[in-house]
Amino acid sequence: MSGKKNRFTVLSLFKSVKTTMLCLFSLLIVLTMAIFLLISVGYTKKTVLENSTDYTSRLVRQVNRDIDSYIDYMENISSMIIQGGDVQKYLFMKMSKEEMEEVYGRIVTQFNTVVETRQDISNIAVVAPERYYIINGGADDLNENVSLQEVEWFEAALEGDGSILTASHVQHVIRNNYKWVVTLSKGIENPQTGENGGVFFIDLNYKLLKDLCENNSLATNSYVFIVDEEGKIIYHPKQQLLYNGLKEEKISEVLECASDSYFIAEEKGEGEGKLYTVSVSEKTGWRVVGVADISELMKNKEETESIYVLTAAALLGIAMVLAMFFATAITRPIKELKDSMKEVEKGNFENTDVIIRSDSEIDSLGNSFNLMTAKIRQLMEQNIHEQEEKRKSEMKALRSQINPHFLYNTLDSIIWMAEGGKNKEVVRMTSALAKLLRQSISNDNERIPLEKEVDYAGSYLTIQKMRYKDKLEYEIEVAEDIKKEEIINLILQPLVENAIYHGIKYKGSKGLIRIVGYGEGGCIILKVIDNGIGMDEEALKSIFDKSRDSEGNNGVGVHNVQTRIRLYYGADYGLHFESALGEGTTVTIVIPRNFREEERE
Amino acid sequence: MKAPVRTTLFWIIAVAALAAFGIFFWGSGRGKEEKYRIIFIPKVIDEDNDFWKLLIEGVEMAAAENDMDLVIVAPETEDDYKEQNAMIEWAIAQKPSAILLTPASFTETTPYAREIVENGIPLILVDSEIDEDIADTVITTDNVKLGEVEGEYMKKYATEESQIAIIGHVEGSSTAIEREKGVRKGLGEFEDRIVDVVFCDSDYDKAYRLMMDLMEEYPGIDLVAGLNEYSAVGAARAIKEKGRQDIRVVGIDSSLEEIQFLEEGIFEIIVIQNPFKMGYLGVEAAIKVLNGEKVERRIDSGCELISNDSVYTEENQKLLFPFREE
Repeated sequence: MSGKKNRFTVLSLFKSVKTTMLCLFSLLIVLTMAIFLLISVGYTKKTVLENSTDYTSRLVRQVNRDIDSYIDYMENISSMIIQGGDVQKYLFMKMSKEEMEEVYGRIVTQFNTVVETRQDISNIAVVAPERYYIINGGADDLNENVSLQEVEWFEAALEGDGSILTASHVQHVIRNNYKWVVTLSKGIENPQTGENGGVFFIDLNYKLLKDLCENNSLATNSYVFIVDEEGKIIYHPKQQLLYNGLKEEKISEVLECASDSYFIAEEKGEGEGKLYTVSVSEKTGWRVVGVADISELMKNKEETESIYVLTAAALLGIAMVLAMFFATAITRPIKELKDSMKEVEKGNFENTDVIIRSDSEIDSLGNSFNLMTAKIRQLMEQNIHEQEEKRKSEMKALRSQINPHFLYNTLDSIIWMAEGGKNKEVVRMTSALAKLLRQSISNDNERIPLEKEVDYAGSYLTIQKMRYKDKLEYEIEVAEDIKKEEIINLILQPLVENAIYHGIKYKGSKGLIRIVGYGEGGCIILKVIDNGIGMDEEALKSIFDKSRDSEGNNGVGVHNVQTRIRLYYGADYGLHFESALGEGTTVTIVIPRNFREEERE
Repeated sequence: MKAPVRTTLFWIIAVAALAAFGIFFWGSGRGKEEKYRIIFIPKVIDEDNDFWKLLIEGVEMAAAENDMDLVIVAPETEDDYKEQNAMIEWAIAQKPSAILLTPASFTETTPYAREIVENGIPLILVDSEIDEDIADTVITTDNVKLGEVEGEYMKKYATEESQIAIIGHVEGSSTAIEREKGVRKGLGEFEDRIVDVVFCDSDYDKAYRLMMDLMEEYPGIDLVAGLNEYSAVGAARAIKEKGRQDIRVVGIDSSLEEIQFLEEGIFEIIVIQNPFKMGYLGVEAAIKVLNGEKVERRIDSGCELISNDSVYTEENQKLLFPFREE
């Protein structure tokens, strides 16, 4: 049994099923919410990052295209100027002085137009080493301290076919210039030799590059920079800081990165690092790099996340309330059933019916319980009834009858008295006998007032006194306040009879029987006191034995009285004998006052 | 009675959990401090001098980067420490978050600098120093090192007969004192060949005149060290004018004119500081002090020797020519 009881089940976690349910529900809800949150937050992060990288790479590609077309445009300008013929003519052809001045004038005008109309061009120049040059409006000169052969881009343009683009550098070829520029240069063919004899170049300042890079700002704290194939900087919004070593850029990572892809650079203590999106221009080989704070890009994510979390919290709250409600609703029938069972356990069958609301298992359990208690109640009522019947019939059976011997003897006495002409005595005895008989016969009621019972005993004593003449005397002292108390009938007379036949009869002298009645506490005390021969210990012990027979008695007098009192009033009440040999016997009847039959246990 | 207690407990826990949830997610985004206000007092604001221009640009850029309010005030001339001291007093009255100062005088600025510190304002010295170690941090070029590089270079060409002249900028300024010390250290055994030390008060014309006088006084002069841009350029102008190809001049700091003299070969070498970096680091140091972070007492912003054949190397052009987008 105990092994079975101690086995662990979910229900044994808490004392009540409701608490258990509530806790398990809550656990379930919280767990579900947490999983949902984790998944959705993770998913959001992924999606947001994907969207951001997608968006930034599109932007960066756009910047790349813009820059390509910008460079294209510059190349067109250079082609236009080179192929215009004037430049070649001026640099390589032998001409008259006037003609030369005319050509020079045309070139200068052209250059001036370009420089004046385009703010993003710092310098425009044609240079044939060792020969002629025209720089901007013609007012600028070459820096005589710089050897053109040592200028890398110049040599490359001179030797190559295509246009050469430099990284950011200081333009020191032109005297007093020293501006930071990006130079686009192209060789000019000398028609006489078929080889490049000069170089045309345009210096681009950062006006337009800056605009191109900044117009497409991704987010705050984000920027776009450009490096060439070797990682040298073309444009960077913090170029001065980079040059002074006050800031570092992830150039080598950018160079390793494939076109149209991205990498994430972790930064110490700075949020979630930075997203570098790289786009490589096929035309220039330049790498356009978009840099954005991931935390900045993830702003949306945080918003979404907080919405998720708030929703989850709200749902959690609602779910908890519902869980509470459901747990209460589900366990209410169980609780009611339990309470009812407690009542039944105590033996209370009244109002223990459980309310049945539906056809659920618990309700059918309740239904069965109701049927069961009803059945038990019915059985108990039946039992009580049967017991009552049994008791009543027993009581009836135990009621003492007028002893036929007594009747015969009394009638005999009356005859004797009549023969003796004692009319007065005959009348007295006959009327006493009549009274006795009437009471004995007519009394269907089990209960009678105490005074009637005393009267009955009195009638009996009157007859006996007349029969035994001077041998018997009696006294009756019953307190007034108990006279109206109802008691079961026929309990005094058998005791009186017993006192006469066992006490007084064998006494040599005159005997006295006293009937005393009074109330004591919640009890009525009735005593039948005789001063007969008394009884020894042994006789006293066997006083209630059924077998104890007596002359002229129905043989069960005392025993029956005792049994009837106990049947009627309960085992606490009954007869009590005190006796001493030669001194007499006192029988005490103790019965409760104001007794109602329902009180019987 | 037991069940209600338990239920109450359950609700208390539930509500507490929800509250904790909420606080955790709302509490994260809070606390934006007030903007820092910084006053920078250089020795001079001179648009024509690349050193000051760059130093100020560095400060401005750092202030902009860190979203700070910046006020710059300076005397008309570099040696006007009285005017500067008055400005320091004014600056203290403004109760700024921090003061960046380039003291005009090694000794005369000190009481005013102390006043800054006594008023509980963080003090960051940039470029120059004072004779008391009271500033939170000092960001300078190692001026002794700067002079030493010059001195060492000259030593290679110095002989027993050499006549060496030093043209300083402002007598008594920490930079002049330290650079001179460096030059002497770099010259080593030829230190005694120094025939004269003169001061041009950071004035091109005065430097020019002083150099003219020196060439007259010491015809055999063959090595000249300029201790800053004014003195070096002034000297170079004089030497170029006299066509004295035999005199080797070394200079400190860079400017277009100086670079051109370098290209021409008037200067053998120049030793450049990084004023932009100095200014930038000065503001960064101020932020660190304001944020209660630990700051080194001395920060060296470095120097670089540039010879006339290395002007346009990729690295050197970054140092010589300040990058400006226009």
